[in-house]
Amino acid sequence: MTDASRRTESFGPDPVIEAYKRDVDRTLIRENLRLTVEQRFDALVRLQQFAAELRRAGEAASTTDEAR
Amino acid sequence: MTVDFRALISLLAGAGVEFIIVGGAAATAHGSARLTLDLDIVYRRTPANISRLVRALAPHQPYPRGAPPGLPFTWDERTVSNGLNFTLTTALGALDLLAEITGGGGYDELLPHSDRLELYGVECLCLGLQRLVHVKRAAGRPKDFEAIAELEAIVEERRKLG
Repeated sequence: MTDASRRTESFGPDPVIEAYKRDVDRTLIRENLRLTVEQRFDALVRLQQFAAELRRAGEAASTTDEAR
Repeated sequence: MTVDFRALISLLAGAGVEFIIVGGAAATAHGSARLTLDLDIVYRRTPANISRLVRALAPHQPYPRGAPPGLPFTWDERTVSNGLNFTLTTALGALDLLAEITGGGGYDELLPHSDRLELYGVECLCLGLQRLVHVKRAAGRPKDFEAIAELEAIVEERRKLG
């Protein structure tokens, strides 16, 4: 065991993380927990494709704006 | 570019590479709904495994991500042996090869904390949920706070499910 891993053996509740946790959308987590691991990865790939499409559309829109 | 998780994981597992899925992809495996744009793996640093890793990835144009084209980068056993962590682009998507991770160590230290997954028809290892929370908290990066909060919420939701 390295020093780094030994240092992390015990973590108590972190107030910063607890504050972030209040905003976690647990409905998405519950939906994901109903899926198989493979289905979760397939959903991630669809999300990546959607993000790439949004990025492309955003770049096209800013190019159009600059041309005006 | 999207990551072809199916192709990358099948490729590595099929080639007998010893690796553990970590980072955002591991979080996805455990139920995270967050977007991640690469596959992070911790690979075992034995000469035989490095050789398998190099041979498996060689046909898929591994190259340092974000580096200008034309660098004298040679993807071979010597390069991997002389380095530790490699953030790569490949024809199958962004791939981070890590020798070890903060708070978790290397392959052999992570192995007892890993889950065996049947994914895309192959068996592979994924860092367990509790250890994933540990390493992210150990890294202490503010950018991970939301991810840690979600992972801890997943732990809680799983407990509710029994």
